[in-house]
Amino acid sequence: MVISPVLSPKPNPPGPGARPPTMKSKPLAILNSSNVQPPTAASTPGDTGRDMAEQMNDEVRKQFKTGAKLGEGTYAIVYSGHYKSDPSSLVAIKKIKVNQDYKDGIAMDAIREIKFLSELDHPNIIKLHAVFSTKDQNISLVLEHLPLGDIETLWKTHSISYSPADIKAWANMLAQAVWFCHENYVLHRDIKGNNLLIAADGTVKLADFGLARSFADPGRPMTYNVITRFYRPPELLLGARHYGGGVDVWSMGVVIAELAIREWFLPSNTDFEQLVAIYDVFGTPTEDSWPGVSQFEFYTPPDDSSVPAPANGTGPSHRATSPSQSTQSSIKRPQPLTYWRQRFPLLGEDGIDLIRGMLTLDPRKRLSAREVLEHRYWTNAPRPTKKEDLPRQGSGEEKMGEDLKRRGGEVESGRVDKVARKLDFGAMR
Amino acid sequence: MKLTEDDLYRTSTQFKHWSFTPSQLAAQRLQTNIQASERVKAAVQRQRAQRAKQLDPASASESDRNGTPVPLDREVNCLTVAEEKKLVDTFCEKAIELGGFFKFPIEVTATGIQFLRRFYLFNSPMTYEPQTISRSAMFVANKTEGHHMPLEKYAAGFPKATSEQVLAPEYLLVQALRFNFDIRHPFRALKGGHLDMIEMARGNAYTFASHILKTAALLTDAYFLYTPSQIWLSAHLLADELLTLFYLSTRLPPSSPLHSKTLTTLRSCAALLSSHHTFTSPTTSAADKAAKDKKEKEEVQLLIKKLRQCRDPDKLDLVKLNQAQKRDAVDGEGLEEKKAKRRKLEREGYQKEADSFWGPELPRRENGAGGK
Repeated sequence: MVISPVLSPKPNPPGPGARPPTMKSKPLAILNSSNVQPPTAASTPGDTGRDMAEQMNDEVRKQFKTGAKLGEGTYAIVYSGHYKSDPSSLVAIKKIKVNQDYKDGIAMDAIREIKFLSELDHPNIIKLHAVFSTKDQNISLVLEHLPLGDIETLWKTHSISYSPADIKAWANMLAQAVWFCHENYVLHRDIKGNNLLIAADGTVKLADFGLARSFADPGRPMTYNVITRFYRPPELLLGARHYGGGVDVWSMGVVIAELAIREWFLPSNTDFEQLVAIYDVFGTPTEDSWPGVSQFEFYTPPDDSSVPAPANGTGPSHRATSPSQSTQSSIKRPQPLTYWRQRFPLLGEDGIDLIRGMLTLDPRKRLSAREVLEHRYWTNAPRPTKKEDLPRQGSGEEKMGEDLKRRGGEVESGRVDKVARKLDFGAMR
Repeated sequence: MKLTEDDLYRTSTQFKHWSFTPSQLAAQRLQTNIQASERVKAAVQRQRAQRAKQLDPASASESDRNGTPVPLDREVNCLTVAEEKKLVDTFCEKAIELGGFFKFPIEVTATGIQFLRRFYLFNSPMTYEPQTISRSAMFVANKTEGHHMPLEKYAAGFPKATSEQVLAPEYLLVQALRFNFDIRHPFRALKGGHLDMIEMARGNAYTFASHILKTAALLTDAYFLYTPSQIWLSAHLLADELLTLFYLSTRLPPSSPLHSKTLTTLRSCAALLSSHHTFTSPTTSAADKAAKDKKEKEEVQLLIKKLRQCRDPDKLDLVKLNQAQKRDAVDGEGLEEKKAKRRKLEREGYQKEADSFWGPELPRRENGAGGK
């Protein structure tokens, strides 16, 4: 478990390098001899209205030049931009809009996104360069510029053809990102193709941490209303309030499957249909295959004539029939290996074994992010394609604007069928 | 593939932006204090100058607009660094009460308090009133820790504060926090460390010590020489020295003469236990262990061989001996059993005396046999 490194040396000096000491006022000169690096622009006697914090914020803001608007959503506006000191170092500036419906100050999505991205520094996670606020009290996130679109557009764009080795390369970058989040005790809770953006050099970067949270202490309930439906694991659909990294691993499995078949793997129109879609492929879970499954809030037993039907009115009304009752057979069997071989030829035997491990119904039997990385799929032939050799899509800057402007769980208009449930803040933990 | 705690902590904003040496911390607070004092003095000066322009110079000592009397000719008496810190500390304490009042989980309260402490590294209570800031800090902490409480409900918890008052300093606060929301608390680490220690004691140390008790302790003179408590503590000392020494110090203060006396006893017992060939410390290599076992086996084989050559022929067949004893008992009817036995043995002894080889053994055997 976590033990802070008591042996860590203290940073010296504190703070980032971007704080050149400019001493102006006389009283502060005495501090020059100390080893503290004071914030820039210490107030001069004439500079009475400005706090140190405000000055530090201005220093950060002045480093960037905001350019053209790339996209606008209800949650944020995304602009292109660059460092003033180096116009060739591009950034995306995501300005969080003040939400009219949210009366409680700074939005939780923004706090979450800033909180987690500030802590996670990894080549496969979108980099948060800086955060600043503007005079009109809007918060802006300066994010890494990722101009080559996202994983979802990649498989949707049929003019782009790609190979098993290409899939392996993309999937591996995703797997590393998820592993790194989990090593840092962060659950992403919204992994999907259009949250996986592609950098100019072909690197896949996990973005949108608006639904992220730290792993809960055991026993502390969490909301099951997370993850866009197509990517939502069965335990959340069944109403689990205690879960772990397995939820992200399931989503990751769906993303890799979509890359391999170039279509939605588990599409549905409702949460109920989503469970049906999952059971169609993986079979109906039973107490044998998934011990404890019958204890979930939204679990309904399969229509087995030998078992008396549950009393009416005990479950939620919209769950009156169980997903398995909609078909003739009472308990669906999992699809055989031949199904996987026919549908996923691009993954090969190893890849099929891997995604089936990631898409195991019982989260306790599902692979962990670390086990995913230890799978033989990555090391067996074919070798993953080198980043620079990966197929690319054309101008994706607008796509980046589209992807970054969303709030967690949101999808672009026209695809309302897939919208993740709105976060229930009352139940939110 | 595993990142160490060090790797994880080094990338945290807490380490990068909010870790200091004591002198850095003191210098930062001093700087904040100096700036705030200057600002207060300058602001008061301006107000006085303005008033002096407006007012009749005759009314020398006038109240300011808020009703606080500020003597015109006196310098504003600003808070010192120590006084500022004491105030902030006080409001941190009040924040604990606040958290208790709202029944916030401890990490919400703890985060709120750290927000407050971070805020006042760059701001003075003379500039921003701690009560106002602490209300806002606790509210932001709620959102940060994913424990959302509706603003209206939160504000209603205060007799005087409105929703607007709670929200007003939010941007000021998050700016001063440099948008670093993640606070690394030691709570989970405590749980983890505690579990580790239990695991050490139960898992490794217990298993190991228990193994010693089932082997070396039984196979040496330990029971003759030491009490049960001394034996288990010695076995535990061999299993986990630090933990055992710590445990001992909680029972016997290290200053007490009994402490060193007990420890000396434990060490000698531990030496006895660890001298046994079945003992292997966690650091013993497999090769060492094999060599040790081999040596032991050879020594024993030699001994057995030697024993065969020095066996007491009289005692080779205990069945016969037993029967003979019973027979003697019947033969010696009327005689005292002991006397009969002794006579028999003496008789045998004389016969043996004739045998020059066994001669020297005679007196000891006579005594020993007579006692039985």
